[in-house]
Amino acid sequence: MTRDLVLGGACLALAAGYYLMAAAIPESALSDAVGAQGLPKTYAVVLGALSLVLMFKSWKTRLTVLDHRVPILRVAGMLVIGIVYLAVVPWTGYILALAGLIAATTYYQGGGLNARVAAVALSGALFFWVLFVAVLGIPHPPGIWPSLF
Amino acid sequence: MLLFFTSILPAACAGVAWGILGGALPGISPSITMALLLPLTYTLDPTVAIVMLASTYVGAEYGGSIPAILIRTPGTNAAAATVTDGYAMKLQGRAGEALGISLYSGFVGGLFGLAVLVLLAERLSTLALAFTPQAYFALGVLGLSVIASLSRESLVKGLMAGVLGLMISTIGTDPVTGLTRFTFGSPELLSGIAPILVMVGLFAIGELLTQTGEPGVQAVPEPARIKFPGPAMWRRIALPQLIGSVIGTFEGVMPGGGGAVSSFLAYNEARRWSRRKEEFGHGSPEGIAAPEAANNTVACAALIPLLSLGIPSSNSAAVLLGGFLMHGLLPGPMLFVQSTDIVTGLYTGLLAANIAMVLLGYLIMGPCIWLVGRPKPYLMAFIYALVVSGVYAIETSEFQVGLALGFGVLGYAMRYFSVPLLPMVLGVVLGFMVESNYRRALVLSSGDHMTFVQDRISAVLLGLAFVFMAGSLVRHGLGAWRPRSGPGV
Repeated sequence: MTRDLVLGGACLALAAGYYLMAAAIPESALSDAVGAQGLPKTYAVVLGALSLVLMFKSWKTRLTVLDHRVPILRVAGMLVIGIVYLAVVPWTGYILALAGLIAATTYYQGGGLNARVAAVALSGALFFWVLFVAVLGIPHPPGIWPSLF
Repeated sequence: MLLFFTSILPAACAGVAWGILGGALPGISPSITMALLLPLTYTLDPTVAIVMLASTYVGAEYGGSIPAILIRTPGTNAAAATVTDGYAMKLQGRAGEALGISLYSGFVGGLFGLAVLVLLAERLSTLALAFTPQAYFALGVLGLSVIASLSRESLVKGLMAGVLGLMISTIGTDPVTGLTRFTFGSPELLSGIAPILVMVGLFAIGELLTQTGEPGVQAVPEPARIKFPGPAMWRRIALPQLIGSVIGTFEGVMPGGGGAVSSFLAYNEARRWSRRKEEFGHGSPEGIAAPEAANNTVACAALIPLLSLGIPSSNSAAVLLGGFLMHGLLPGPMLFVQSTDIVTGLYTGLLAANIAMVLLGYLIMGPCIWLVGRPKPYLMAFIYALVVSGVYAIETSEFQVGLALGFGVLGYAMRYFSVPLLPMVLGVVLGFMVESNYRRALVLSSGDHMTFVQDRISAVLLGLAFVFMAGSLVRHGLGAWRPRSGPGV
């Protein structure tokens, strides 16, 4: 199976799903000639047609073979770090959660886990806190700490 | 003269520094950077306050290119077109050169925009009034016509990416009826998906995931200093700068045009007129010069409809309008009669801001280049931290960070399947503008599609879009008979 065939198939499925969802958008009394469904349906049809063209070209030429493994677990690990950050930041607060993210990413990318990494992570988190919260005034989650004191 | 050295010059420098900082942070747009500064200018002299806000705009437009070149993360929407060639030069160990070209081109674009502002403000302002929904729609289509030439490896894949971008732009509230579309009941999606969120996901997080999947890829050692272009490079990038400046002028004047559209159009036109087309996408200096000149021209040209008619042509211009109103000033024709000192001060301040941009840009480049030369584990960790912090800042929402992670996965998949990223970005940026104005125009014309041809500006823009697309399709057709030159953008 070629890479383009997989891509074409996935996009064709996406176009079909998107078309069905567009068709389910209710009509409005305020609707114009095109309507809320109009352009989404058109986009879905165009994407579907382009997917078919890609699949046909792929079937005809068979140029790019799905030949090497995707390092899916390693890539997923980076995502997990981000997801864990999102899960803990409301509880631990921005600084601790960000320090954890920096330390975990550094370790995951082969930087080891030692006192130096911990110091860099904590000072990095403090730097971002100063930049975003203290200087720019953008509130980041404080965590449970304010309620304890 | 005394006022210039004691008040205007420091205000311009402070505004530019603040703007570069905000522009360089993904998620903090130029308008947000200006809005954050707005309350602080309340107690200042009106001229100084307006100069500081306008200088922030100038600095932010330039600042967006720094992360675009160094970490493949556009700091602003307008910097998305700089990513491709800027980051390619960085990978070749030419980050200092790329940053120098960006800074120099931004300076040239800024001065061009200022000259146009001073000389032609009143004449060009009439263009802003002539823009109808038909013309806005045609402007969007003209922007989308660039997709074909951005899809160098595979036209089909480029078009697919563009359509996917348009589909993403339909998420949220319908612009005419107010119905919700594709929100899956989530209130966070009601206002749609911010383009910067898509860009940060596709470029920055996608790149982090790609680098994670290819642990053997090592960063090229960086030269420690910024490198300004020499005479030979000046000559080479002069034409792209001129193209970017002219496009930036017209886009800045047109309400809704903005830096992002002008950058993409300038990139496309610079490639069309270049004698080294094959270098575009692989580290072409012209690919940096044109969009950077364009978006810095926009920062000045956007003031033309604001000062002469009181019409803000972008979010940043709207914040500046807020600054004017806060100080009891009403932009419009009478501003040039009743408040000449403000107008003269603003012009002087903008000149100072462009010079300050070069000086400050030069000073901060060294530390920036040093930072990206740090060991890969630390560098990736800090980019990850910057991205999650910046994305959270857009709407102070963890949901947005999750969405950006999702777009990161999409970016990784697109790289794996060799699908170009820029057409999708273009679709997301222009989708809402195209749909809302297409439908408004049809409502106004009782559903008659001939209205797009009857409106003169619309007809010209659609004609240009047709010529651009036809030219790209012909080139693709001819290219199919020649050996491929490399991967897409």
